[in-house]
Parts: sequence; structure tokens; C-alpha cells
Amino acid sequence: MSHHTINLTVNGMPQTVTVEGNQTLLEVLRETIDQTDVKYGCGTGECGACTVLVEDNKPINACLTLAATMDGRSITTVAGLANGTELHPVQQAFVDDFAIQCGYCTPGMVMKSVALLSENPNPSEDEIRHYLEGNICRCTGYAKIVKAVQTASDNMVQYAGGDTA
Amino acid sequence: MSTRVLTNFDLQVPKDIPEALEILDNYQDRITPVAGGSDMLVAWKLGVESGNAMSVTALPDLNYLTYDDNDGLRVGALATIDQLLNSDDVKNKYPALWKAAEIFATHQIKNTATLVGNCLRASPAGDASATAYALGATLTFVSKSGGERKVHIDDLFTGYAQTSRKPSELATELSIPAPGSGSRSAFTRVTRVNEDLAKLNVAAYLEMDGDTCTQARLVMGCVGPTLLRLPKCEALLKGSKVDDATLDAVANTVNDEITPIDDQRSTAEYRRSVAPVFLKRTILKALS
Repeated sequence: MSHHTINLTVNGMPQTVTVEGNQTLLEVLRETIDQTDVKYGCGTGECGACTVLVEDNKPINACLTLAATMDGRSITTVAGLANGTELHPVQQAFVDDFAIQCGYCTPGMVMKSVALLSENPNPSEDEIRHYLEGNICRCTGYAKIVKAVQTASDNMVQYAGGDTA
Repeated sequence: MSTRVLTNFDLQVPKDIPEALEILDNYQDRITPVAGGSDMLVAWKLGVESGNAMSVTALPDLNYLTYDDNDGLRVGALATIDQLLNSDDVKNKYPALWKAAEIFATHQIKNTATLVGNCLRASPAGDASATAYALGATLTFVSKSGGERKVHIDDLFTGYAQTSRKPSELATELSIPAPGSGSRSAFTRVTRVNEDLAKLNVAAYLEMDGDTCTQARLVMGCVGPTLLRLPKCEALLKGSKVDDATLDAVANTVNDEITPIDDQRSTAEYRRSVAPVFLKRTILKALS
């Protein structure tokens, strides 16, 4: 078994961890760094529950990323979005539009939506639906999720807080 | 077997190419080089024996994507599908490849999966690899004892998930010639929803002189153990006017060149039914 000592920045906090070669980023985030806001869903890159952002707000599947390959990388999870008690506009829109049922997909959905709005601040409904492919909601509450992304897009113009997106 | 925890394996993460070549030279076929890992990790989680793995993600200077009229497109081994999608050169000069990048899996996967990795997985259902095949790509391999070796993609796929890469070799680049005069390309595929793997896919590269086709490379996926070139169909196109009669002849020939099977995504019967339709549509899309 190979051991690797890596430096990560998780939600702005530097972390030095020793990981095994076969450990995924998801496993290390949840079980070593206690970042349990990142969810395990399918483990095969299909449901998007484990979506985190790396530099430049690029979404990746933590379940399909070997932790040992992430040395020096900066990772943002849903817990790193809020600015103190002020929620990120995407989080606030998910609350306001009730885009949450059981809530399990929500961390991944929020991160994917943040990535979308960072790339394309004014997406059409079709663009939102296309971009959210790869994130599955078991409760099938897609209409409200799409609405929340539209609300967040409208509100992002006024947003001036936080250091992400 | 679990999708949560990977079975034990040793992972090497070399920091430069000489170190990677040393590892490959020592381990030979007992180690699997892996880039984005989006497909390999799923395979390992679902029970494929992982053995040892070598991540190439820390190798410097391999994430380039460049184009010029002499060298064509050069794609480093770590250039991602997302990089292809964001390249105006790919969009304007290689529309088939750009389309394959656009429909490729999900945005999370596009950010980690690489074109070189997609080709070396040698899946018969590969989308980006099907277009690289139609566009006549060349792979560059390096090894400790053999130096550099170029392999044309026509000589890459040797069987299901098998390539002509030697165990000691590291793939460093995929290059695609600059588009020839009057060239067109297109890519289509059949799926239930976009993020599915294809039931069938088609990539076409054509060079046209007016209405006459002077060069054709046609590739179909999901209809054999590897992605398949369609040489009989290509021969019908080359030197002919691409009119209804030629397209009908091509459509009537494709089933002589493919060997589809029933699997979890489709049936041989369905694939044989849609292969002529989608081949014709792809050629027409390239010409439009």
C-alpha cells in the first residue's frame, strides 16, 4: 500500500494529510477532513452528489478523483460558499424557491449551479438543464431547482460578498 | 467490490517524464497509467482488477492544446475534454471533435477526462476517440529504451480495450493534421439521454472538390469489438458525386462492415436498423 502526503486547501483552509493510493478525494474529504457536506451517492460519477469545485470554479466528481493526485490543489465544497452568515446567492435561491426535498443532492446541485453561473451568468432554461446533466435529484424536483438557478442568476448582479464565484 | 471504497492498489505519482518512464520500464504490464481516471476508477470499483496504477496528472507541461496550419492540432496527454470544448480552433476546424466534446459525459467528467486517455481506453463506444479516428490522429509514445514512437490511429486499436501501446510506453501527445482543402467533418450518436454511453455513434471526415468527394474517413462505434473504419463505404464515396444514389449505396453497404451484438444498451437488430440511417445523416451533416 502506497502512502502519499499531500497539501490541500479546502474552503480556504490549508490541510496536510497522508492518504493511501486507493483513496478517493471524496473519502478523504468526508472521513479525514470531516467535510461531510460532500455527499456519497453512486460512487461512479453519475449522480453528482459529490461535486466539488477546483480552481476556476471547475466542477469535478470527488468520487472519481484519487486523493493522492490532488497535491497543491484548492477545493471548494458547499460549506465554503457562505460569507459568514450570508448565504451565497445560489444557496439563498435554493432556500427561497424551495428547491430542496430530501436534500441529499443539494450540495452537488448548488456547487454545479455555482460553476454554471461563474461560466455563464445569464443561462437560458435549456442551458441550465443541459449543464445540470450529471446531477441527479432522487426526489425529481428539477423544476424548482431550475427556477432557483434562474433566481440566483437574477440576484448575482447585486452580490458582492464571499470569495467564491 | 464497492463503489465507495477502491480495492487496495499501489499508486505511483511521478513528478516528471523520466521518472514515469522509469516506473513503466520497471513495472511493464503490471501497472496501468491513468490520467483523468473517470473511466478507470469506475472499472476498478466495479471489479476490474486494478493491479498497480500510475497517475500521470503531476507530469508537467502536458496539458497543452495548440493549433497551427503546419502542425495541425496538438493535444497534450493531460489536455481535457473541457479544453477541446473551449477551443475556437477545435470548434472551427474540427467540428466533429468539438461535437464529441460537447456531448461527452457530464461537465464534471469533461473537466478531468482527457482525449488521449479516451483513445487509450480503446472502448468500442468511445465518442471523442471515434472522431480522432475519423480525423486521422497520430499518437506519440515515449519509452526509456525506445525513445519516441509515433503510431497512426489506424494502427492503435487492436481489440476490445486493447491498443498497440507497448507496456513501457507513455503516451505524451495526440496530433491531428490540419484539415485538408474542402474538408468537412461531423459526429452523431444515438442515446436515450445525453449522458448515456452511445448505442451507436458515427464520425465522418470528408474532403470535397465541388460535389465530388476526394477523401473520406468514416468511423462507426458500438458495432464491433473496437471502433470500426468503414472502408467499403469510404470507397463508394471517394471519386463520386455525393448525391442520393451514392448515399443510398453507402447506406446499403454499411451492414457488410459491422458486427454488432446485443448488450446492455441496445440490440444487434436495432443497431443494424439504424446504422444506415445514421451514417447517411452524419455524411449529410458534414456536407451541410
